[in-house]
Amino acid sequence: MDFSIRAANVEDCKDIARMIMELAEYEKMADHVKVTQRDLEQDGFSKNPFFHGIIAEVPEQHKTKEGHTKIGYALYFYSYSSFKGRAIYMEDLYVMPEFRGKGIGKALMSKVAQLGLAAGCNQLSFTVLDRNKSSLEFYLSQGCFDITANMGYHCMRCEGEALEHLAQP
Amino acid sequence: MDYKLRKAEPKDVSDILRLVKELAKYEEMEHQVTLTEKELLEDGFGDTPFYHCVIAETQGESSRDDPRVVGFAMYYFTYDPWVGKQLYLEEFYVMDECRGLGIGSEILRHLSDLAMKTRCTGMMFVVAENNEPSLQFYKRRGAEDLSQEEGWRLFRFDKDSLVKMATPAEE
Repeated sequence: MDFSIRAANVEDCKDIARMIMELAEYEKMADHVKVTQRDLEQDGFSKNPFFHGIIAEVPEQHKTKEGHTKIGYALYFYSYSSFKGRAIYMEDLYVMPEFRGKGIGKALMSKVAQLGLAAGCNQLSFTVLDRNKSSLEFYLSQGCFDITANMGYHCMRCEGEALEHLAQP
Repeated sequence: MDYKLRKAEPKDVSDILRLVKELAKYEEMEHQVTLTEKELLEDGFGDTPFYHCVIAETQGESSRDDPRVVGFAMYYFTYDPWVGKQLYLEEFYVMDECRGLGIGSEILRHLSDLAMKTRCTGMMFVVAENNEPSLQFYKRRGAEDLSQEEGWRLFRFDKDSLVKMATPAEE
């Protein structure tokens, strides 16, 4: 199937917001989603973006029954490893169910890898839910390391009241 | 011991690298540090910094003594598409001989305050599960273990795998 991979622009935020929700539903965590289309526009497409996006698009003749031609995306940003230096972090990778198995996910990830290398990055990191078996298999087949399993690294977060409390003198 | 927190400056890169290596040694991963002072300088103090640093510096015993860098935190801003901007704490270390004086807590307080001022909804970081003292330090302060509670696992591709992935399978 014909598809194209390109950088996201501000007009894509409606479809990105839709697909973020679809991914959250797939991960059974839709109630966690608070970010809106407007937040995405401001946070990703202003002078100092907090993330960058890539869109996978199919031609009109392959659009979904709801009329969508934007059928996959990746969100990434640049990070830093105190051991290795410049790094790239892939926050989201998603392809709509009916478009899977056609190399679109690989193409999106390949683009993130290319952009990372072009920016001088030495590693690409991301997280996967341990119950997401098909994704785990896909990533492991591409040659990555499970840092949580191999090195015991746990992802931690301080938010809401805990964060406010920490900020008190 | 008197100390102060301040933003890192280009002159601090050798102390930053020294402390990174000290922490790596504590985690038994010294040989994994390939970062250089030159990279720290370019990446932290160029046009688009990849990271920011806050430094903890002690004043010497007398005014003739040079100040010493005894702790630091390295951080940058990330994005969670579900809840928005996050402050990501990449590295956080206080020299052994300066622990127990509240320097670590003060660094954390400073960063939490910065997170709130920059409208981040959370502060994120990783901890090794066998690092019991650090895990307890953070849990006491209300940190959630997302790996344990929600099942998130961190994965990584190294440089060689990145190069393989970036090369299209066929033209």
